Amino acid sequence: MTQLRKVLKLRTVISTSAGMAIATSCYLAGLQIATVLVGELAWISVMVAGFFCMLSAMCFSELTAIYPSAAGIKLFIQHAFNEKLAIIIGMFYVVLGISMVGAESYLLSSVLTSTIPIVGPVFDRYLWLLLFVFFVAYINYRGVVITGIAQDIMTYVMIAFLISVSVYSIWKNGVDIAAAAHSTRFTFSNVIQAAAVGVFLFVGYEWVAPLAEETTDYKLIGRGMLWAIGVLTCTYSLFAVGMYVGLTEEQIKEQLSSDTPIPHILLGRNLFGPVGAVLFVLMSILASVTSFNSGLLNTSRFSYAMARDNVLPRVFSNLHPDHASPWVSILFLAGLSAVVSLLTLLTGQYFFLIMMAAALECFIYIVAAVCVIRLRRKFPDKERSFKVPLGYAIPIVTIVVFTGLLIGLFCDATRDYEGRILFQNYWVAIAMGCFFLFTTAYTLAIVPIFKKKAQERASTRVKRRPGRA
Amino acid sequence: MATSQEILDALADYQVQCNDNKRLRRMQRDWSKLLHFVADDTDDSFTMNVVKGEIVSFEAGASGAPDIVVTTRSEFLCDMFWGDLNPSQKYLQGEIRVKASQEDIMRLDAITMIIWPDV
Repeated sequence: MTQLRKVLKLRTVISTSAGMAIATSCYLAGLQIATVLVGELAWISVMVAGFFCMLSAMCFSELTAIYPSAAGIKLFIQHAFNEKLAIIIGMFYVVLGISMVGAESYLLSSVLTSTIPIVGPVFDRYLWLLLFVFFVAYINYRGVVITGIAQDIMTYVMIAFLISVSVYSIWKNGVDIAAAAHSTRFTFSNVIQAAAVGVFLFVGYEWVAPLAEETTDYKLIGRGMLWAIGVLTCTYSLFAVGMYVGLTEEQIKEQLSSDTPIPHILLGRNLFGPVGAVLFVLMSILASVTSFNSGLLNTSRFSYAMARDNVLPRVFSNLHPDHASPWVSILFLAGLSAVVSLLTLLTGQYFFLIMMAAALECFIYIVAAVCVIRLRRKFPDKERSFKVPLGYAIPIVTIVVFTGLLIGLFCDATRDYEGRILFQNYWVAIAMGCFFLFTTAYTLAIVPIFKKKAQERASTRVKRRPGRA
Repeated sequence: MATSQEILDALADYQVQCNDNKRLRRMQRDWSKLLHFVADDTDDSFTMNVVKGEIVSFEAGASGAPDIVVTTRSEFLCDMFWGDLNPSQKYLQGEIRVKASQEDIMRLDAITMIIWPDV
């Protein structure tokens, strides 16, 4: 195989995968896990979630080994099933995924409003929220791409910071595991319920798969994903506990029912005073910007490719004449993100999006595991540089586990610290179901029209190749 | 199957089309890459050197360390260089394989899209 001039190294694969998952909303999700279970034992659920995600990562690794392409998600579903299903699931996963920015922008605007007051709380929140979406959209529009080294530095600094703060908080405040183990909340069902929320902490790790085309060894992607999940599991385990013991009970109660949730800022302030708060604000900005930037970058390229494939209107494939960025896709997705963010701000239901993202991840892990099984049956002899060990056992366990988590999540309710119901999670299932129906209807009714028009254009076009006219 | 000479002829036309397109040159003005094209059914390879959006040279054989490697059937390579094939569609079907960054893959596809927007 020809060696590329520039190839990605394992450390960049890990940093990209982990960097996708680390976001401001993870701080709050960590606290939510700590309160569903017992704070001092939150690490158990995080580890369970991490272990489950590792199973799904093995499935993604095998799929990447077969289809090492940025179009991987479409390719493996298409080859396992058919093109229509690949479009339905691809659009469902990608567009719904970008809506996560609603929770992210809400939480980041909370952080900035509470630490950098400008006019007033209400105005400031709208300002920061729109500024965040605009800033990320602008750097995408200008075609600015974060290099591998920059990604490495940002991700590893964030991880090192979170681990250091967590260890310090645990050392300073102490953790009474024996007492926590006797709590009535420490039950098997609570461990699993918290693990379902814990899946959210790993949202997006699989988005590193498109980088397969920048590596020499496709196994590197699988190895990188597993390493990233391992690193994230350790980091989040420590941080969930560190944050829980570093906050007072009043602060935890207030944070989980407040419309300006900033648990990590309070933790920073409790531990290091104003300097700690400033450091966490910076980390928050870094996490949110890198996470949303990667999301918008990938989603806009996906929209571009879909438009070129006559699945979306052709206007989405328009490239900026100077920056060569798919500017129509970027502006459309940024607009969509801004609308979701404003809706989140108006309703205050950021947990709704967190639950939806967790459910979406469970769904795509199930799809990946099903595809592994289907592709092994359809193409048993196809070359795979990585094959999930133990036959069908791991894909089947992945399907069972994540189906269970998904059903469990939908049947449950989201509560605050006092146990009051914020909303029934079946509303998340209804919202996702509606969107799935939309993508299905679009694929079955609209896409054939675009494809037909493209065929008509192709049939009237005179071939340029000599002898083919 | 397309012969090596057929692909070289297609590349010659591709070079003219790219270099004469002002819009493309403006868009790709900061894009300097060494590309390898590999026909996996004939084992033919081709090298193309792009400097600031201009195709300065191309030749048979794989020379130098490339930034982008495109692998597909010789017929697809030929059709692609003549502008008779939508590279994105073939890429999304898995029939064209590319080793490069996502950005470079899009830029490469953009060449066809800008020169032959009706493909």
